[in-house]
Amino acid sequence: MILKVEGLTKEFGGLRAIDNLSMEIPAGGIMGLIGPNGAGKSTAFNCIAGVYAPTAGRIFFNGENIGGQKPWDLCKKGLARTFQIVKPFASKTVLYNVTVGSFATCERRSEAEAKALEVLKFLNLHDKKDMLSGNLTIADRKRLEIARALATEPKLLLLDEVMAGLRPSEVDEVVEMIRKIRDSGVTILLIEHIMRAIMALSDRVVVIQFGKKISEGEPAEVAADPNVIKAYLGDEYVAS
Amino acid sequence: MTRNTLQRLLPLALLATVLCLPLAVRSATYLHIMILVYLYAYLTTSWNLVGGFAGVLPLGHAAFFGIGAYTSTILSLQYGISPWLGMLVGGVIAAAVGVLIGLPTFKMRGAYFALATIAFAEGFRVMVENIDKLGPFALNGPRGLQIPPLNFGLAEMMFSGKEPYYYIILIMLVAVLLLTSFISRSKLGYYLNAGGEEPEAAMALGINVARAKVIAMAMSSFLTALAGTFYAQLNLYIHPKSAFSLDLSFEIAFIALIGGRGSIVGPVLGALLLRPVSDFSRIYFGDTLPGMHLIIFGVILILVMTFQPRGLQEPLTRLYERLLDRLSGERRAA
Repeated sequence: MILKVEGLTKEFGGLRAIDNLSMEIPAGGIMGLIGPNGAGKSTAFNCIAGVYAPTAGRIFFNGENIGGQKPWDLCKKGLARTFQIVKPFASKTVLYNVTVGSFATCERRSEAEAKALEVLKFLNLHDKKDMLSGNLTIADRKRLEIARALATEPKLLLLDEVMAGLRPSEVDEVVEMIRKIRDSGVTILLIEHIMRAIMALSDRVVVIQFGKKISEGEPAEVAADPNVIKAYLGDEYVAS
Repeated sequence: MTRNTLQRLLPLALLATVLCLPLAVRSATYLHIMILVYLYAYLTTSWNLVGGFAGVLPLGHAAFFGIGAYTSTILSLQYGISPWLGMLVGGVIAAAVGVLIGLPTFKMRGAYFALATIAFAEGFRVMVENIDKLGPFALNGPRGLQIPPLNFGLAEMMFSGKEPYYYIILIMLVAVLLLTSFISRSKLGYYLNAGGEEPEAAMALGINVARAKVIAMAMSSFLTALAGTFYAQLNLYIHPKSAFSLDLSFEIAFIALIGGRGSIVGPVLGALLLRPVSDFSRIYFGDTLPGMHLIIFGVILILVMTFQPRGLQEPLTRLYERLLDRLSGERRAA
């Protein structure tokens, strides 16, 4: 197991955003994390990525308890993430953005730039390397977000809604991109609202609602689970 | 001539010109103004490490300037230590103070950070103004410290003419420009820029943003203190209102914002434009309208921010590139 979450709980004041969540991600695959709006997906993500310290529970990354460690230390250990609301270094070029990421594993600029160029080629962003990232289309910004995270050479990549706001053809491109990243040996945890993408990509899916896990399994199993249908559509849609 | 050779030759030609300038400018007043242009370009370039690269707005750099000026002057007056050595001691003390100020304040953003740095710098000024003796060290409160013009010579960093000062500050400026342009292309430069622009994204990419900023602050305050020593030796008199003045902190920020924050040439362009304004307005309006230069700075700042929000360096760099194209007859390699 590359990531193991045990009884994770996160409270903000009186609000319990994550309630005793447990899940395991085997190395090499793609795990989907879905749930209705406000279910606590992003909070769970932020706990794993070190942005929030969990209120209770433990998180193991490669067997090491990483609860409470800082994002930059986790990144160096091989845990990278993207942001749902993209955060490019807008005044800088695409290459500069990705080079910032590749500096995580080296000291010299020439080396970091060479690595960044490799990542850009791998993700077919190479021809845009000299563009200012602030001038990119939303689809390219999402790709840049992935490229930057990938440049840190992660073992586990957390993708937070990287397909939201994209046209269907662009979604297909990103789906291919994510497959390619998985095939290169990176494990992926994917938060996504676009079911078509989740179903196509995930080996397993975890569904949460009100901070609790309500279902887990292969995509088809989860889609047929009455609990999941209830969570998304309401009681009256469950076939009885 | 190819574009590349031109690109190498022009800065050298510029350097040769400024090296020969004292031969052409015989007036001590004009030479003094040039010295102040370089001094402020140097100060703003040092400030730029934090205020430009790291994207925060420190408004208390006078504290480090004052620490540099007072440290070397006290060491020289009371213990006969050469200002060159005192300069380094002042730099180290200022760096330590910079780190201590940076640790709590870098957690704040925007106006809160700026206000906190003003508070620290003003705190220093008020303390120095009210302390006559700090342990064995005589600060002389508001009366300040006078350096008797006795031992002229390079070893004492004290000269009867302006020319040696001109060359010392010129060397310091060139050195600090080379240093910052090296840093801006290094890992630290990338980390500062990233942390300044999008701190959360930077942290997720493995950057300890606060640490990078504190390192930059240590370097910036060290370099600023060196200029403080130079200033003390140039004027042979320092007092709290000159060495720790809020005006100085503000003027540095004005120069940076107008010249182009975060760029290498910006501080030099800003100082070239603003310093003469400040000196001439003091010469002509000094009696009737003291402080006129700050009002003029404000007006220039409004104009620049409206039409060139990234500072004067942007249109001027473009102009320079076009000049290179024209002179070489080649287009810039894309």
